[in-house]
Amino acid sequence: MSKIVIDHLARVEGHGGITVEVEGDTVSNVTFDVFEGARLLEPLVRGKRFDEVAPVLSRICSICSVAHTLTSLKATENAFAVRVSPQTDLLRELMFRGESIESHALHLFLLAVPDYLNYPSAIALSADKPAVVLLGLRLKKLGNLIQETIGGRAIHPVNAVPGGFGKAPAIEQLIELRSALMQGVADSDAAMDLMASLPAADFCHCDTVYAALRSPSLDSYYDGDEVMAVSDGSRAIVHATDYKTLTNERAVPHSHAKHSAFREKPFMVGSLARLTVNPRRLTGKLAVAKKRLKLQLPADNPMDNNKAQALELINDVERALEIIEQLLRAGVKDEPPVPVHPRAATGTAITEAPRGLLIHSYTYDAEGRITAADVITPTALNAASMEMHFRKAVEQSAERDDAALSRKLQMIARAYDPCISCSVHLLRRQ
Amino acid sequence: MKPLLVIGLGNSLMGDEGVGWHVAERLAGDPRLPADAEVVCGGTDLLRYADGMEQRRRVIVVDALHDDAEPGSVSAWEETGGAGASACQPFPQLDNGQDNVHCLSAVQAIQLLRMSVPVPITLLGISIPCANVQSGLSPELAARMPAILERMLHELA
Repeated sequence: MSKIVIDHLARVEGHGGITVEVEGDTVSNVTFDVFEGARLLEPLVRGKRFDEVAPVLSRICSICSVAHTLTSLKATENAFAVRVSPQTDLLRELMFRGESIESHALHLFLLAVPDYLNYPSAIALSADKPAVVLLGLRLKKLGNLIQETIGGRAIHPVNAVPGGFGKAPAIEQLIELRSALMQGVADSDAAMDLMASLPAADFCHCDTVYAALRSPSLDSYYDGDEVMAVSDGSRAIVHATDYKTLTNERAVPHSHAKHSAFREKPFMVGSLARLTVNPRRLTGKLAVAKKRLKLQLPADNPMDNNKAQALELINDVERALEIIEQLLRAGVKDEPPVPVHPRAATGTAITEAPRGLLIHSYTYDAEGRITAADVITPTALNAASMEMHFRKAVEQSAERDDAALSRKLQMIARAYDPCISCSVHLLRRQ
Repeated sequence: MKPLLVIGLGNSLMGDEGVGWHVAERLAGDPRLPADAEVVCGGTDLLRYADGMEQRRRVIVVDALHDDAEPGSVSAWEETGGAGASACQPFPQLDNGQDNVHCLSAVQAIQLLRMSVPVPITLLGISIPCANVQSGLSPELAARMPAILERMLHELA
């Protein structure tokens, strides 16, 4: 029996690794150990007042702090039947777009592209192809600027509060953002050129179930309370309040994260799932770009999540521009947050974080203090699907060279853009 | 804009791993903080602060260090921000591996920042015993906080 062990995907000792055991031509065991901190952090919000919850849970992840903040607020507002203003909806969607631009740029340019071009890291890539890395850094900076302008600071936004915004952006700030986004249009087009030029990465093919937010507008990371799961041409709808019938979580001995399965099948969340569930987003420029990337939906190759992120990068920049134009046309009002009247209730919110479906569900007592909280992150939702694709990749590979297989498994893991390591950030001595 | 920028990295929900964040928070409220220094409580992604580094005289990054030293020990590495040095590792004693699927380490981020931000960066690593889910520092590290702050202020003087 041979064993492939990749133990350094995460920065917490002993977590985030992939282990594949092969006997002859048969894969006997595949495990992916996710250090999934969100679950362990839920006790930290028990007893917190409704207005203290989002600032705590935003700290689950620096990269996804907007998604955690806004999903938390949405869950709280759902519990207390608070309906925020159309302006708040737009500003929140804009923050999501900023986070998606920033996260996709970081992932594609600094983590995924070096894999495709056979560089060990973005640092090595920058020595030979500095323009590629600088393009990624510019797009990342654009995403940061949107989040900082609307959210009030670089990470862990402070402007978004229960019921609305503590401070709305000034018109001059939106005009500045619009100028930056105009440059972003050219940069996201250049990102597409780069992605279309990369060598193919076909490491495994199999039928995959996809799940994503089904927004009324078909193009929102924030708006909507239903999840659509797509499998073999059939579609199923799950309401946010019934999220446990989607996730059907079960503990597995080898991982901190529980595994999810819908109708007994693992499912994939993220950019590829979003495009599969809402394919009508792919019109005009995006339809042309999809053709250039040779992306077929529904896809049977998890590596296509990278292509989907590149398409979303273009769409996010365009959508952010549209939102800013809308805000400028309507004029930004200095409106106070909608008053929140706590009551004993449960509220659940589903949104789309950059790397997929994010679920926050809270139960409050009559004073508006948390008695129970459930946070399910995209990486936890993807864990079982990742294991399935790791297994398929090894089974479908003609190679039995451990180094080659290890590289494929790492590229698949990166294509999922998992968030297993963001909870910690350590320096290590050589 | 103040000429000195201190960025404390870390996740404040991950116990001692968030020591950089806690140091920045304490430092920001410390009356001994020099008037020419600005302090930011960062997260785990140093690249987010690229804009804020531009036109500074010096940037100090504080992060948790996983090693065998006594908890609370402070190690310092200097990086001069020389142009055209992007292929060189600025801190050869520190792990530079691409071992992270989600974001870059401080060491990697500093290397990339050299491409666009020619500012000298000092990296201060604070040795921690472990990283676990908890909202505050371990008693062991919390007890060392006054000495750590003294060391930070000395660095800023």
